[in-house]
Amino acid sequence: MSGLAGITNSGALPTLELSMRFAAQRQRLLAHNIANLTTPEFQPMDADPRDFQRALADAVQRRRDETGGQRGPLPWREEGPLRRDARGDLRIDPDSPKHAVLRHDRNSSDLERSMQALAENAAFFRLSSDLMRFESDRLVRAMRETV
Amino acid sequence: MYGSLDISTSGMIAQRTRMTAIAANLANRDTILDTDGNVNPYKRRQALFAPGNPNAVSGQGKALGVHVRQISINEDAVRLKLEPGNPHAYKSGPNEGYVPVPDIDPVVEQVNAMEAARAYEANVSAADASKAMLAQALRLLA
Repeated sequence: MSGLAGITNSGALPTLELSMRFAAQRQRLLAHNIANLTTPEFQPMDADPRDFQRALADAVQRRRDETGGQRGPLPWREEGPLRRDARGDLRIDPDSPKHAVLRHDRNSSDLERSMQALAENAAFFRLSSDLMRFESDRLVRAMRETV
Repeated sequence: MYGSLDISTSGMIAQRTRMTAIAANLANRDTILDTDGNVNPYKRRQALFAPGNPNAVSGQGKALGVHVRQISINEDAVRLKLEPGNPHAYKSGPNEGYVPVPDIDPVVEQVNAMEAARAYEANVSAADASKAMLAQALRLLA
C-alpha cells in the first residue's frame, strides 16, 4: 500500500467518502422526483439509506476482519442496488415502489415525503462532510506535528 | 452535485413554461380574432411534461429531470356564445347570432397556476439544498 493510499484509506475517511457519494447520488434522485411532481404517469424513485448503511457496516466489518484494524480499502460487496464503478463512484439502482395511486394523472409523487427526504439527505451529507473535515484537519495537524 | 442542480433547473424551466401557457390562456379567454382580423377563436394551450432532460450535457442528466414534450393546442376548445349584436356573430344558419369564443375556464387555469407555482417553489428548495451541499463539499478544500 502506498503512503498516500495508506493515509486516505485509514480510519473513518473511506466510510465518510462513501457516505458523501451516496448522499450526492440520492440528491439527484430526489431532485428528479421533485422536478416530476406534475408529470403524468410518473413514479418516484429512491434509494433506501438503510440499504446503504447495511452495506457500509458490512464493508467496515469485513475490513476489520481482513486487516485486523482500521486500515486498508473498504471491501465493498458489488451486489444489490448499490455498486461502485471504476472511479469508485456509487451507482444506485433506484427503487420505484408501487404505491396506491389516487391522482387522476397516475402520478404517485408525494411532495411532503420528497421534501422530508431532501432535508434528511442534506443533513446526512452535512454530517459526513463535517466529520470528513474534522478527520482531514486532524491529518494536517499530524503532518505539521502540532497534535 | 452539478447534476442535481441541472435536474432542479429543468423542473423550474418546465413549470415556468407551463405558467406561460396558463397566462396565455387567461389573457386570451375573450380573444375571437386572429392576428389577421379573421374570426378564429384562441385555442387553449397545455404544456405536456415527460421525464428526462434532452438538453442535459451528461448521460445521467439526460435520464433524470423533466422537459416539456409538447405544447398541445386543443382545437375543440371553442364554445358558442349568444351575442346577436356582435359584428362577428354568425349571420345565418343554425348558429345565427352566436359568436365562437375560446372555451377556457378561469377557475381551472387558476388552479393549474397555483400547482405550477408550488411545484416551481419545490424545485427552488431542491436547488437550494443542492447548492448548500456543494458549498459544504467545497469547504473541504479550504
